[in-house]
Amino acid sequence: MTTTAVRPGKRPSYVSGAAPAANAGRIGTSGKTFQIVSVIVLVVFAIIWLIPSLFALKTSLTDNGVAALGAQAILTNWNPTLHSFASFFQAGDIWNWYLASGITSVITALLTVFFASMAAFALSRLRFRGRNVSFLLVILGIMIPTQVLIVPIFQMLNWMSLLNTYWSVIFPQVPAVIAVFIFKQFFDGIPAEMEEAARIDGANRWQVYWSLILPLSRPVLAAVSILTFVGVWNNLLLPLFVLSNPNLMTIPVGLATVQSSFGQRYADIQAGAILAALPLIILYLIFQRQIVEGVTGSGLKG
Amino acid sequence: MAQASGLSRRGFLAAGLAGLAIPALAGCAGPVAAGLAGSQLNPKTLVYWNLFGGGDGGRMQTMEAGYRKTHGGASSLQATTFTWGNPYYSKVTLSTVGHKPPDVAVAHLTRAKPLWEGGILDPITDEDLASVGLSADDFSEAPWKAQKTNGHNIAIPLDTHPLVMFYNVDVIKKAGLLGSDGTIVPLNSMDEFEAALAAVSKVTKGPAITSANVAGETATPWRVFTTLYNQHADATPFLSDNGAKLTVNWDVFEDVVSRIQSWVKKGWLNSGLDYGTAQSYMFTGKAGMYLEGEWELTTAQLVKGLKFDMAPLPTLYDKPAAQADSHTFILPKKDRSPEQRKQAMEFIKSMLDQSMTWAQGGHVPAYLPVANSDDYKKLKPQAHYASAADHAVYDDPAWYGGSGSTFEGIVGAELGLVQQRAATPAQARESITSQLKIYLNTPSPL
Amino acid sequence: MTTAQAPAAALIKPRAARTAPIPRSVSPLRRGDGRSGWLFLAPFGVFYLVFLIGPTIYMIVASFFNTSMVHTDLGSFAGFANYAEMLTRPDFWSAMWHTLQFTIYTTPPLVILAFIFAVLTNRVRRGQWFFRLAFFLPFILPSATISLIWVFVFTPATGLWAFMQQSLGMTPGNGILANPNTAMIGIAIATVWWTLGFNFVLYLAGLQDIPRELYEAAAVDGASNWSQIRYITLPLLGRTTTLVILLQIIASLKIFDQVYLMTSGGPGVSTQVALGLVTGTAFTDNRVGAASAASVLLFIVIVAVAVIRQLFDRAAARREA
Repeated sequence: MTTTAVRPGKRPSYVSGAAPAANAGRIGTSGKTFQIVSVIVLVVFAIIWLIPSLFALKTSLTDNGVAALGAQAILTNWNPTLHSFASFFQAGDIWNWYLASGITSVITALLTVFFASMAAFALSRLRFRGRNVSFLLVILGIMIPTQVLIVPIFQMLNWMSLLNTYWSVIFPQVPAVIAVFIFKQFFDGIPAEMEEAARIDGANRWQVYWSLILPLSRPVLAAVSILTFVGVWNNLLLPLFVLSNPNLMTIPVGLATVQSSFGQRYADIQAGAILAALPLIILYLIFQRQIVEGVTGSGLKG
Repeated sequence: MAQASGLSRRGFLAAGLAGLAIPALAGCAGPVAAGLAGSQLNPKTLVYWNLFGGGDGGRMQTMEAGYRKTHGGASSLQATTFTWGNPYYSKVTLSTVGHKPPDVAVAHLTRAKPLWEGGILDPITDEDLASVGLSADDFSEAPWKAQKTNGHNIAIPLDTHPLVMFYNVDVIKKAGLLGSDGTIVPLNSMDEFEAALAAVSKVTKGPAITSANVAGETATPWRVFTTLYNQHADATPFLSDNGAKLTVNWDVFEDVVSRIQSWVKKGWLNSGLDYGTAQSYMFTGKAGMYLEGEWELTTAQLVKGLKFDMAPLPTLYDKPAAQADSHTFILPKKDRSPEQRKQAMEFIKSMLDQSMTWAQGGHVPAYLPVANSDDYKKLKPQAHYASAADHAVYDDPAWYGGSGSTFEGIVGAELGLVQQRAATPAQARESITSQLKIYLNTPSPL
Repeated sequence: MTTAQAPAAALIKPRAARTAPIPRSVSPLRRGDGRSGWLFLAPFGVFYLVFLIGPTIYMIVASFFNTSMVHTDLGSFAGFANYAEMLTRPDFWSAMWHTLQFTIYTTPPLVILAFIFAVLTNRVRRGQWFFRLAFFLPFILPSATISLIWVFVFTPATGLWAFMQQSLGMTPGNGILANPNTAMIGIAIATVWWTLGFNFVLYLAGLQDIPRELYEAAAVDGASNWSQIRYITLPLLGRTTTLVILLQIIASLKIFDQVYLMTSGGPGVSTQVALGLVTGTAFTDNRVGAASAASVLLFIVIVAVAVIRQLFDRAAARREA
């Protein structure tokens, strides 16, 4: 497999910023030209890619009245104001939405990482009847498109009287089969001798899992928990239908369904878009490497 | 390498716990308890949902403020405005199915019917009405009769919003159609109306009248068609048996639809215009008249320098009729204490009392103490078209029908094509029949 | 490997000794694995059964009944009527077509641009973090943010898109999202901007797997940068490209967010996609049975593509081995 991401010991070199082609010393004139052209092309496209976000940011810092006049007015206006952000925070809904998004994302990430790593531990380190069947189920589960199950999931949550609670967003997202798969691959790479040594020393299976395997798996734990957090934060489909109380809505659902009544307040709308993204931008800046590696790893396997 | 990877297991757990602790510290215990334990948020607060954007949204906020002022301040009411259309009705249904509905919600009258069929609504009893001093006599006949279902009151109408004719006073004057009272002369037959169209067309050197029919606009063609269709003495309901039978009188259908198409052929009616452009034609004098619901009053009033007025669509066939719907208040099904019922009714009463604010936006009040008041009768141009509401024709009840519904989408799209001359009336009939077949043959899920 | 082991082993030893001072014999180490195995599997297994397998079964069962959103029972038996209805409904096929249309619009730019960006980023020596930020960051942002930004960019007449069109001497029309012929293109543009980063990092990872010696050997032979890309990078990234395309097809089949948020399937039904039809049938028409039939059909298509992917992966792995 081309997996380079979350496997113990093998670390993708791109993370460190070393490019293979940058084999110093052997770059001729054509190499230099190529470098320059590459950089120019990349910079141009990077700017194109940044424009929508920067335009949204600029708009959110513009007065609603100016923003209503259109792009030209927004781009040529130089009186930044935090009014749109302030009005969001004063209106209060945003706090409840942040709360709902934060609570559901954190709890789902905790439960997913905990339960999936336990299951992966059993599949990777324990020998028992039914193990192969269980693993086959996991592999099959990867193929199940959970989005397509939105209607029956709604019905089941309704039977359990869980609609309009945070649990209705949390529970259906806990069985992330891909997480078990990623953990298992990682655990498979941990040499058996270490575990056996611990067992001989008298550690039971739980202790092996908790005190040996998990501490060794920090990179993959971090990657899976961050990715789960991001996935739950960004989910629209599930919370859109299972949460109808405006006080309990997650940020994307709140922004999508609750409208402000006074016409098109573009600056406010863009401020909302940025507020929904802000925690993730911060998360990215802190955990850049885990996120990129995790996304790559899950993409290659899932 | 493992240590280098940022998150330690303990740190991870701590971060998680901190994430849980922050809300508690912030004192946001309300939603958290509701979200985790399913408890009710604030039993004292009345939860009210609506779908009003634009000018209606602004006026509704004024009315909500009016309620808060007289009923215990900011915490007495939690009002939420959702995005208009199907998603809104989905939210009402799903929240009720999930046992967490709002106390009061707004619904179009034609959409309240399928909600009632689905068991989503609590009936409103005469005692409920009496508890806040209301009775059936307080409401206009058309909407009150229309909401009554199997002997139950299912919704309390706030207004009626019929299809009306907007006209540009300058253009109409040039065409010699302005009466001595400053309003358009009565056009009481098809011949008079068509003569007027010809006259206006001469002034505009283009269409005389516009009606939106492209870019996804299916509701307007339906509104125009069904208005004219129901002016026919031989008109039968388009759908019967809650949508199980297609009972439209096809002869009348072809008569009306061919007539509309003939106007396009003569250049009197636009062939294809989207919603915004259709009204801008009338606003700018490129056309004399414009057909749409009276709610476009707010938009027209914002156009600088425009002199416009409004009138019911003239009776071109045998009897007056105007396609309409009503905004109503519904009580989604939930366990309510007598106090909560009373509270909900008081809110509705407060909204009705403020009908005058609501009427500014063009809607014809259904609450007679306001509709019959001198203040309302003095309101212009409202007074010029309010009679259209007396002849309101509501969409036939069907589980897939009502304002903005699948039914309107299917039929309206075909009617739009006829107006574009992309389909003949016979082709439209065939296509409507075949597309409705799945719905006609499907037992109502309600 | 070694660096990871050493501290961990050091960590585990004293702790293990503390908790279990009496050493056991080696042979029975595997005894009791069975019971523990199930105990370790149980928490995840419960969620797996209740929220993955359960709904799948319920979906299949309900697809044969006239199940309603507003009643708690399954409703009357419908046989294959729901399937027959869906397979003959023009809007079902148009939703499928729009999904295909979306795939056709998004896949080429997502593959080609991501490839170019990754190859170039891989070769520049400084500022890689900046390009990763620019190209990858949108991918982890919520669809709600993406849609709000792009709907605003596409605002008719006064939006940024119209402004650029004007600057280039074009006349902006009614807005790209308001026109049934271009609305899907608008959604595709927003999607390419949003998800390109995913393919970008996949390609970057693929590039890491190409042995450096290949380039060095080629460079010694006097191959230019361009021919290195043409004759080494491109063929060796073939597998990543197939993966990227298959993932894109699966993602396209599940598209919902952008469409719901940017056009709600409109104008008319010109951008309605499969999941939009499913949720509309279930949550607007209240027809859970019919929606389940549509879900099953969509489910089959997606699983088929996923199986093709697995087969492809297997075959590729065999070739490599």
